Amino acid sequence: MQPTLDRWLGRLNGPQTTGHGPAFWVASLVVILGFAFLPQFVSRYQVITFSNYMISALLALSLCLIWGYCGILSLGQAAFFGIGGYAYGIVALNLLRDHGNTDIAFLAGMIVPMLFAAVVGAIMFFARLQGVYVAILTLVISLLLGTFMRQTADPSYTIGAAYLGGMNGLRPASPNDPLLPSLIFGLGDWVWEFDGRSVAFYYFTLCVLVLAYLAFRWLVNSSYGYLLIGCREDIERTETFGYDVRLIQISVFCISAGIAGLAGTLYAAWGTYIHPDGFAVAPNILVVIWVAVGGRKDPAAAILGAIGLSWLSVRLTALGEISLFVQGAILVLVMLIAPDGIITTLARLIERTFAVRGRPIKT
Amino acid sequence: MLTFAELFSYIYQYFDNIGFLILASAGLILIFGMMGVINMAHGELMMIGAYITAFTYHAGVPAPLAILLAGIGAGIFGMILERLIICHFYNKLLSSLVVTWGLSLMISQGFLLIFGPSVLNVPTPFGGFAVGDLSFGVYRLVLFAVSLGLVAAVWALFAFTAFGAHARATMENPEMAEALGIETRKIYSLTFGLGAALGGVAGGMFALTAAISPFFGNEYTPLAFITVVIGGSANIISGLIASALYLAGVQTVATNVFNQYFGYVLMMGAAFIILLMMPRGFSEYFERSKVRRLKWHELALDRAEDA
Repeated sequence: MQPTLDRWLGRLNGPQTTGHGPAFWVASLVVILGFAFLPQFVSRYQVITFSNYMISALLALSLCLIWGYCGILSLGQAAFFGIGGYAYGIVALNLLRDHGNTDIAFLAGMIVPMLFAAVVGAIMFFARLQGVYVAILTLVISLLLGTFMRQTADPSYTIGAAYLGGMNGLRPASPNDPLLPSLIFGLGDWVWEFDGRSVAFYYFTLCVLVLAYLAFRWLVNSSYGYLLIGCREDIERTETFGYDVRLIQISVFCISAGIAGLAGTLYAAWGTYIHPDGFAVAPNILVVIWVAVGGRKDPAAAILGAIGLSWLSVRLTALGEISLFVQGAILVLVMLIAPDGIITTLARLIERTFAVRGRPIKT
Repeated sequence: MLTFAELFSYIYQYFDNIGFLILASAGLILIFGMMGVINMAHGELMMIGAYITAFTYHAGVPAPLAILLAGIGAGIFGMILERLIICHFYNKLLSSLVVTWGLSLMISQGFLLIFGPSVLNVPTPFGGFAVGDLSFGVYRLVLFAVSLGLVAAVWALFAFTAFGAHARATMENPEMAEALGIETRKIYSLTFGLGAALGGVAGGMFALTAAISPFFGNEYTPLAFITVVIGGSANIISGLIASALYLAGVQTVATNVFNQYFGYVLMMGAAFIILLMMPRGFSEYFERSKVRRLKWHELALDRAEDA
């Protein structure tokens, strides 16, 4: 079975990601099918919440890529999420009436954060900043963006039909302008609409997440992925081999910003609102918690961490305002006990248990 | 034309901003410079100091003593944190960043659970004075003076005391220091405690000027981080002073020309420019130019001998 698998999934398998054998892919398929049949078993409200979990998982993937694989810890990952959301919203509000769809807005939600990341990344990585310096600067940039967005309540802050709206979040500039839409894709006469409150939207986010996961595996198991690992493990050595590490770092920073922007776009479409609190400390730290607790060195671990903790957080809200406290405590405990994350540690245990019968994988 | 009162106002603001930056970041840069750990929970240690000050002040303790108690309380709390958690993360820069961030979330949310979101206040002492038709608060100048006093005290502590010598030895080469009989565990613990205590004192001082809530620290931490990052870890005293003088200058000018928000943004831009020129901050640059000067000097001496 392994040769067949290698032929079909060869480029997705490799030593950079956990799981490569038939058992892993069957289990993955079962999990995906489980999520696919979820709307049959839970209430509509829960389906809407699960759409949000998928979006969170996408955001976790973006941090997993730069932190887990390239060793760049961005504490301001929510900034790209927020920029993506705002970009989607602003473009959608302006173009909806003429175009009737949000195609361009959807792309803008990814491209604008990537451009922003290119500028910030170029400054940081050409200055050869590393480690804590990058971490602190990304966080401060996110907080500054939040401060800026918070003081845009003045009516002069309008971009065409979009009014930034300060603390109240993005809204139409005048009552005649359309409201912030959910996703509407148009191609010629065909129109697909995904209302943020619908089951269709849940399937859409699930598909996006699965595709993003597969693309992630392909990327990190390609030669580019090895370069990322090289930058993480020993930046000087990678440079000595003749690679321009700055370009690697900037490019991966942009890709990560694009994924985060995609998550932000979906979030803005999901709730049809986006507001400055997305740039504050709490959303930024939550992303780090998901990825650190799940496991930063594997995309599946990051995704499961994000979904699991988001689910837990909603459960805890029923008990009062303890959700953030508990998540902080979980982060500290996991960092002490299983520094590589819960899911990754469990996966290693499972791997070790079955290692006797396993065969070395082709790379 | 610039009146005397306006000129005084600019200088006053400059001093105020310097005092603010030094106080907010002194404990942070101490821990960063000595142990290489950026303590993301620094703002929460300041918040603990502010709460201690507010509670003891309202219980009848005079303000200076209340601030001192804040320093002691935060220092003890910091030492406990170091012993329990942070000591496992030395030499793991990014992990220590993440774990202290988790702690900061726990502390602020814990305070929110215990004390609720309500806001405490402590009156600002000393009143004000007027220059021309502008009025100024005395307490801001006290903050400035105290910040300088704290820097001098930290410098003296590390330059002249046995603890300072042991601490510097430990940071330079822990194995060697241990071999010479220095209890490095204790040194780490005390240094972290000292950094936390400085944070507590800063929180106590700021408590007299600002509203105290569980999110008290959020207002100070971004600026403190920037100050520390461009100050660098090679020499905490020169780094802190250079960074505070520079950033406060940019902030004062930008705030007066534009507004407070652009004051922050331009400070950020100014910090970026410094990092482009000196990626490890001011202090590393100073140290390196000192070494370069010494080498040059030696070279000149050699030549003189040869001739």
